[in-house]
Amino acid sequence: MKQFWYGLVLFLFLALPPVRHLLESIMAFHMHMQMPLLFVSGLLMAPFFMKRFKNFFDQWNGSGLPGVILFLVIVLYWMVPKAMDESLEIMAVEAFKFISLPFLAGVPLRDSWVRIGKATESVLLLALAILFSIMAYLYILFESTLCNNYLLVDQKTVGWGFAFFSLCLILYLVLTLFTDQSQYYDEAST
Amino acid sequence: MANTMQSHMKKNTLPLVHFFLAFIMLLIGGTLGLLQGLNRGGVFELPASFNYYEVLTLHGILLILAFTTLFTNGYMYAAVRHTLGELSKTVKILAWSSLASFLIGSVLVVWMVLAGEATVMYTFYPPMQASPWFYIGLVFVVLCIWLAGLGIFISAFQWKRRNRGQHLPILAFFAVGIYTLVIFGSIGVTVEVLMLIPWAFGWTETINVMLSRTLFWSFGHTLVNVWYLVAISVWYTILPKIIGGRIFSDTLARLVVILIVILNVPGGFHHQIVDPAFSEGLKFMHVFMSLSIAFPSLMTAFAMFAVLERTGRKRGGRGLLGWLWVLPWGDVRFLTIMIAMISFIIGGAGGIAQTNNQLNQVVHNSLWVVGHFHITVGVTVVMTFFGLVYWLIPHLSGRVMTPFIHHLGMFQTAVWTIGMALMALSMHAAGLFGAPRRTSYTTYGDSATALGWEPYLSFLATGGTLLFFGVILIVYIVAHLMFFAPKGDTPFMDSRVEDNAHPTPKWTENWGLWVIVAILIISMGYVVPLVDLIENAPPGSPPHRTW
Repeated sequence: MKQFWYGLVLFLFLALPPVRHLLESIMAFHMHMQMPLLFVSGLLMAPFFMKRFKNFFDQWNGSGLPGVILFLVIVLYWMVPKAMDESLEIMAVEAFKFISLPFLAGVPLRDSWVRIGKATESVLLLALAILFSIMAYLYILFESTLCNNYLLVDQKTVGWGFAFFSLCLILYLVLTLFTDQSQYYDEAST
Repeated sequence: MANTMQSHMKKNTLPLVHFFLAFIMLLIGGTLGLLQGLNRGGVFELPASFNYYEVLTLHGILLILAFTTLFTNGYMYAAVRHTLGELSKTVKILAWSSLASFLIGSVLVVWMVLAGEATVMYTFYPPMQASPWFYIGLVFVVLCIWLAGLGIFISAFQWKRRNRGQHLPILAFFAVGIYTLVIFGSIGVTVEVLMLIPWAFGWTETINVMLSRTLFWSFGHTLVNVWYLVAISVWYTILPKIIGGRIFSDTLARLVVILIVILNVPGGFHHQIVDPAFSEGLKFMHVFMSLSIAFPSLMTAFAMFAVLERTGRKRGGRGLLGWLWVLPWGDVRFLTIMIAMISFIIGGAGGIAQTNNQLNQVVHNSLWVVGHFHITVGVTVVMTFFGLVYWLIPHLSGRVMTPFIHHLGMFQTAVWTIGMALMALSMHAAGLFGAPRRTSYTTYGDSATALGWEPYLSFLATGGTLLFFGVILIVYIVAHLMFFAPKGDTPFMDSRVEDNAHPTPKWTENWGLWVIVAILIISMGYVVPLVDLIENAPPGSPPHRTW
């Protein structure tokens, strides 16, 4: 339950007008800080929903794949430059961002994580790494602005952010594939 | 007995050579510090052939880069050998290669400064341009750090393979953290130096000044925290043994190491908080990243107070502060470290003040900043290093400290503390009144403001003189403990955890994950400013020689 409150506080903090304004004033903060943090707030709040609506999640997300697919759809949607532009100009889209990233991406992914196997986890990470690499390529090398609200240099910055994000995902994937991570999560020892 | 001692010396040649060279550097750097202090106090003028700025450049390089690097490598290799067992042949080759690389680099750097080809201060900010050989020397110094780190990583990896499922001993854990951090920190300065070398050879005409400064400070600030991490490794793991206590929490100590490693590098940005070319919003965001380092520091303060109080109460201390008085204040190994920790409260508070944009504008580039880092480095770090000397060097040389050296050590500690208090506090005060840093003595045509700094500058010179005396004393003590003290066995002072301590969670050992998190945090801190500085770069600056 503690996690739920942490998630809720984070969610409300991100929704405060000055915080929203600051994070949305720089494209990299918008894409690489506000959006991931909204997603994280959903991850933190997820156990509450998973417990409260256990039957629903068991029926709808039994194999974990529907949750993963929903997560991917939401992430893909927010990768579209126009979506980010519209969130700055249309309040309904902004509201959708605050609903979709925590509740339609964060919550379902956490519910799915305990249901999917190691192989699906790796495939998902690989898919995200590929997606972010494509985004990095697109944002760094595209010669005209993709978002009307930001400058070309902001766009390149976001591209480099994607490149590092992708690098971290690949490194993590390598780590999980080539080392026994379970050795770090057994019960505590002295 | 003679044979035993010879084998002791032979076994420990690697750290002993490091310590020997480190204190030679301290002696030379300290002498240069005396010259600077006396010049700044208006006592005498330095000759044009060896002017204030050359002295300042060498003082900074020899003490900030050479002394600390050599001491850290010596201490860490001694610690790793003690906790993980004999070093493998590969590791020994790496460690000696690291030292060789350091010596090559140092000779090049010092030679160029003495030749008047590199009076660029230890920060070597462009557009001031040194000889390309100065920068090539720096490449060897960075190589020294990487080779030393590689040796430590291999030792830790080999130990983990031999001891599957066990936690890396805490001192070795600190060693892994220290070298991970310094390697991360050195990436930026390596890129900078690789840009400066073609510029210094004349192959490129201009240099991006802001980009260079930013890359430098990703290293400069990290280096400060590397020394700090070295110092707290002593506080966490050695201090409890000296006072007869136990480590308060093994988990907390490891968490502090992890947090410092992953949070540190972006903190360098606060050194540029008044630099142009960064938006206010970006500076505001970076205040959070810089201040996040205060969090593990506060955890350390908590752990240290806990160790001191628990041990003091075990020793019979009663009441609110009774535990404090019964601590072994008469033991030089404790007194040095305790003064170092107390000074960190003052130095840390000053650092937090400087991290704030508005407060920084009051003291930026003033003598305040010099006073600040003389407290943090000159007391917090260096006094901790001195605290190690009294048992680590005799441990390595197969000797024991005599009561005379102990008394001399207490005297040295007093001289150093008074000297540094006089010098650093007067620097703080003069800085607040506007005295600039990195400026040889001048009264600015007898302006009233500059004349108002005079009393503080006199105190600065007096403190500097006392510190030089402190350098002579500690070098004598080190030489005595290394070569002349009576033969005997001095134990390694590593502590154990409390009997009822909570088990340490295994996730602390997941260094692969911490490295990835560190990359993520570093990219969060630096992608925005670096892309901006490259994409919106001005034409660049041609070289300047101000000397």
